[in-house]
Order: sequence, then structure tokens, then C-alpha cells
Amino acid sequence: MDELLSDPAQERRRDDYGHILLVDDDAQLRLLVARFLERYGFIVTSVQDGTSARETLERGTFDLVILDVMLPGITGIDICRELRATSNLPIIMLTARSDDVTRVAGLEGGADDYVTKPFNPREFLARVRSLLRRARLNTRTSRETQPNRATFGQWSLDFLRRELISPQGALIDLSTGEYDLLVVFVEHANKVLSRDALMELAKARMSDPFDRTIDVQISRLRKKLELNDEREQFIKTVRGTGYMFAMPVTFESA
Amino acid sequence: MFRMPQTVLGRAGTVLLGALMALVIIGYWAFRQGIEDVAVSLRERTLAERLVSIQRTIQSIESEDERDRTAHGLSSTSLEVHWSKVSLVLGNASPTTESTAIENRIGELQPDLKKQRMRIGFADDGALGTGPTQAYAHMLLISLPLNDGSWVNFATPTVGTTYHLPYHILLTTLVVGCGIALVAMVLLHRVTQPLRVLATAAERFDLNSMDKPIAEHGPLEVRRAAHSFNMMSHRIRTLVSERTQALAAVSHDLRTPITRLRLRTELMDDPELRALIDQDLGDMTAMIDATLDYLSAGANPHGEFRKIDIVALLSTIVNAETDLGRNVELVGLPHALIVGDVVSLKRAFSNLIENALKFGTSARLSVCESEKMVQIVIADDGPGIPATDIERVMEPFVRVETSRNRSTGGVGLGLTITRSIILSHGGSIILKNAEKQGLNVFIDMPITR
Repeated sequence: MDELLSDPAQERRRDDYGHILLVDDDAQLRLLVARFLERYGFIVTSVQDGTSARETLERGTFDLVILDVMLPGITGIDICRELRATSNLPIIMLTARSDDVTRVAGLEGGADDYVTKPFNPREFLARVRSLLRRARLNTRTSRETQPNRATFGQWSLDFLRRELISPQGALIDLSTGEYDLLVVFVEHANKVLSRDALMELAKARMSDPFDRTIDVQISRLRKKLELNDEREQFIKTVRGTGYMFAMPVTFESA
Repeated sequence: MFRMPQTVLGRAGTVLLGALMALVIIGYWAFRQGIEDVAVSLRERTLAERLVSIQRTIQSIESEDERDRTAHGLSSTSLEVHWSKVSLVLGNASPTTESTAIENRIGELQPDLKKQRMRIGFADDGALGTGPTQAYAHMLLISLPLNDGSWVNFATPTVGTTYHLPYHILLTTLVVGCGIALVAMVLLHRVTQPLRVLATAAERFDLNSMDKPIAEHGPLEVRRAAHSFNMMSHRIRTLVSERTQALAAVSHDLRTPITRLRLRTELMDDPELRALIDQDLGDMTAMIDATLDYLSAGANPHGEFRKIDIVALLSTIVNAETDLGRNVELVGLPHALIVGDVVSLKRAFSNLIENALKFGTSARLSVCESEKMVQIVIADDGPGIPATDIERVMEPFVRVETSRNRSTGGVGLGLTITRSIILSHGGSIILKNAEKQGLNVFIDMPITR
């Protein structure tokens, strides 16, 4: 994986700015992460536990929070949940692999992304960048209420668990890219989306640093969505223009 | 050759049946012996009395014709009587032990006869004096003298009256015997039930499933065995869990220093050295992950079993590999539903695909289904596994070194973890070398609809 991350990732980018709060109980790690992120132009405030995280959050404004799950006292998940109740502030959780990733990623805490320790710093940087980009795009399009679930036909897409459930009630595993693309389609149902628009929207969502061409992603997504009926095709190709998700979508916030 | 049945029930049944049969046979023999003794003594007594009375009757008759007729008249099937001028038994016939015994016995019963010149002998022993040998075969011959020198000759079959098997007794014995056997079998079955439960519990003993302790009831020995088993399984669980926790804690705690090291390498100026250190750290991470997976036996602690499309899961893995430029393809069914945990299944199949690509250059996955199972075959074009190793590659810490093997990282836990995961899903995994080249891994998992 490492060698595939090309050198440009090493350089500072135009949109590498923002104030990041880092919560981790390991002092050395805090220092190293802060130094690493500061090299790219981010401003990092680091604290060691939940209590000081709360205080710091009240006092300042932040663009992103990086939370370790295993914190002494108040856990990372607790802070994440508290934070989610009041704001849309992007959250990345640092987890150990043995922690259930889906639990941490959203179901209970409502975090936007997670990184498992020991993480690759450059991959970590990619996630931070992607999440910040996404958050900035979202504030521009401003989504007021956050639905928990979308249903189309007999399918349902759970935004909290990041899961697609088929009409038979089976979980259809999706890659991060496929999930992000499906979310874009569902949010823009019955609208024709050009390749460029899709690319732009999906890229803002994608935490996956390895972009495939949109066509490949769509063909994979189609394969996973088709069940039983070959003609039942949600994602229609609009010749010369792009693609359209041709299916009424209902959002639920329950 | 007789082979002892394998079960306690069978053995106990055999022993019981043997004992019952022996009892019946010995009892019957003793019973017959007793009956025969009575019958023989009764017959001898009757014989002795009849000898005396017939002799006296004939003695009292004067006419020779009358004597002969009377003798005939007094004959019965068990005792032929003839009157004749000569003795039927040879006078100089040598007495045998048997004839002497009978003579004494008769003498005892009728002391009168003892005083006379009674002749006793067996026709078969050559004691027959006159008369057709054929007619007197197997007969006991007795000649008693009369006052005038003539003889009363008796012939009686030596074999006792034909003895009929007492069918009603036999039937009763049989019915009672079967009844006893049946009741004993039922009781034995119940007594050995706890033993079977114990055996099943021991067979199913699995560190990962917290089975309830088995019930301690039944006979004392069985209760003790069950109790010991419960104690033992508890001790094993405690021991293993302590060790596991210690190892898991160490593996887990290594994550933070490795993360720190990774961040420190970012500060290094030498990109080549950094790449090398990164690689080492990657290997260490892989080892820690493998160890932790192995310790949890592949089970995801927070994993939930749910209905999933295994083909969708496989295509996610396959697509990711394709994106990395690897030669992996997935053919067969477009969808197949099973019940399982996504996280651990992904780990299992990723391990297998990684292996295929580590030892070969391509991996080909095919999915097909039967009535009850989904079968996934992962075929590679690598060197396969030597026949001698194919059995043990799934054991922990076993690594197969082959000539074409590149430097392969890992600690030899991948297949072990994979197997635990597949087994925990009620599936099976079989490795087979392909006919021409490569290894085929067959995974069968219960299908759901």
C-alpha cells in the first residue's frame, strides 16, 4: 500500500489548513501526530483525556476532531456521542483493530471515519484531508437534518452503519468507494449526473485514496445491486450525459 | 471370531444374556438330572416289584401253556415277559459294572430276589443266551428261575422312556428371560445416558464456546467423571484465557509504539531507509494482527451473525486486489446468501486470496451452490503444497517452504485463522493440489435463502 501513495501526498496542499483537536492519552503519540500534521500546515491542539477535551471544545472552534477510542475515564465514544448531539464537527476515531470497526465508525458514536492503530501516517493524512474537504463541501450545500436511512424499492441504505440491505434482508458488502458513490446517487435520485459531477461529489465523500474511474465503480455497484431480475436496473446510463439513479428514494431519520 | 460389542450397553447386555443363558442351561440340566434320578429310582422300584410279582404269578400256574400265555399277558411295552425252559441270560455271562449295579439295586429293593439265582445282563454286552439278537438289541435282560428249573425271562429297554422337552417350561423361561433382558437394557440405557452426555461434551469441548457445565447425575462413578470433566474444562478455560489475555495485552500494547515509530520515520530524511523501516513495521503489524486473530480464534468479539451476500463480499475483496494490479477473477453465481459475520469472513477470504497471490501469480474464485451448501473454490497457479504437508498446513505456526517460495512474511497463522472462521460458520475447508499445477481451496458453507 505504501509505495502506491505517490509523493505528492508528501507535499503541502492548498486546502491543508484548519484547526484540529487531537485527543489521545499517549503523550509521545500526541506530540508526533501534532508535529506530523503541523508540517502540512494544520494547527493542532492536543489534550490527553475526555475532560480536557470537553473544556477545550467549549473554548475554541475546531474544524476536525481526532479521538482515541481507549481513553481513561470518559471514552472516545462518549465524547463523540456528546459532540454529535450538538454539532456536525467531523470526527476521526483512532481504534485498535480488535475494536469493532463498525461500532466505532458510526453506530454508537457517530464518527465520520476511523483509523486503526498502528496507522500509516500518509494514509492518515489522506483521511484527514478527505474528511475536511467533505465537511467544507457539506457546509456549502448545508444539509440540515441528517437522515439515518434511505429506502428505495425494497432496498435500504443505513447511513449510520454504512450498510446496504437487499430485499431479501441480506447485507450487501460495499467497498468504501461503492458506498460513497451509492450515497451520492441516492441523494440525487432521479437527476442526471454527469461523470464530472459524480466524480466531484463522490470524491468529496471518498475516504479511499485510490480512485477508480467512475465507470468501473458504477459497473461494480450495478453488479451488486442487481438481484433476480436482470432488467431491474437502478442506475441508468443516460447516453452522452452521464448516469441517473432511477428509483424513488425515501429518507428516514428515525 | 466373537467380537465384544463396543458400547457399555452392548457389553453389559452380552454379559447379562450370557449369564441368563448359563443359568437357564444349568438350571434345566439340574432339573432334568433330578427328574431322571426320580424316574430311574421309580422305574427300578417298579421293575423290582414287577419282577417279584410276575415271578410269583407264573410260579403259581401249573400248566405250561397257561404259563406262557400269562407271561405274554403280563408283558407291557416297558417290560417283555416270556416263560421258557431255558434262561434268556447266559449263565456264564461275565457281569459288567452296570449289570452288577442294577443287580445290587434290585437286590436291595427286593431282598427275596437276591437269594435266587437271578441272572442279569445286557444284550449288547453279549449276555443273550437264546433268541434273536436283533429283537433284544439295547435291552436289559433278566432271568429269574422257577422252582421247577424253568425260567421267567424279562427284557426291558435300557433307554428310559422317551423324554419330551417340556415346551411350556422352555417357553416360560424364554419369556421371563426376554423380559429380564428388556428391563435390564432399558435400565442400562438410562444408567449409561450420563456417560454418553459426558462423551459428547468432551468431543464438543471448544475453548471458544462457553458451554454450560454438564449435569452431574447418575451412578457415583459417572457423577464423579462428570464432575471431574467440569472441573477440568473450567481449569483449561481459565488457564488458556489467562495466557491469551496476557499475549493479547502485549500484542495490543505494541500498537502504540509501532504507531509512534511510523510517525517518527516521517521525520527521517532518507526515503530509502524510511521505506525499509516502514516495511518492517508493516510486517510487525501483520504479525500482531495475525496473533490477535489467532488468539480470538478468528472470531470477531463484537461480530454479529447475519444474512449476507457472500458473492458481494468476495467481489469487494477481489475488486480491491484488482485495483492493486493483481490478477484475480471471480466467476460463478451472481449472488449467494449465507449467515455469517462480515468482518471475520472478509479476513478469512482475504487470507486465502493473499496466499494464492503470494505463492502463485493469479487467483481464480468460483462460486456455485448445491441444495444446502455454497461452494467457493479458490484456485491459484502456484506450486501447490507437498502432499506430506497438506494435512498440517492448517495447524498453527506451520509454514510450508517451497522452492518457489519468495520471502514470505507472517507467522504461519493465516490458514489456522481462516479455518477457525470457516468452521465457526458451520462450513468446511479442504486443500487439494490441482491436477496440473496450483492449489485448490474448497470452502463449503451452509446456504440460506
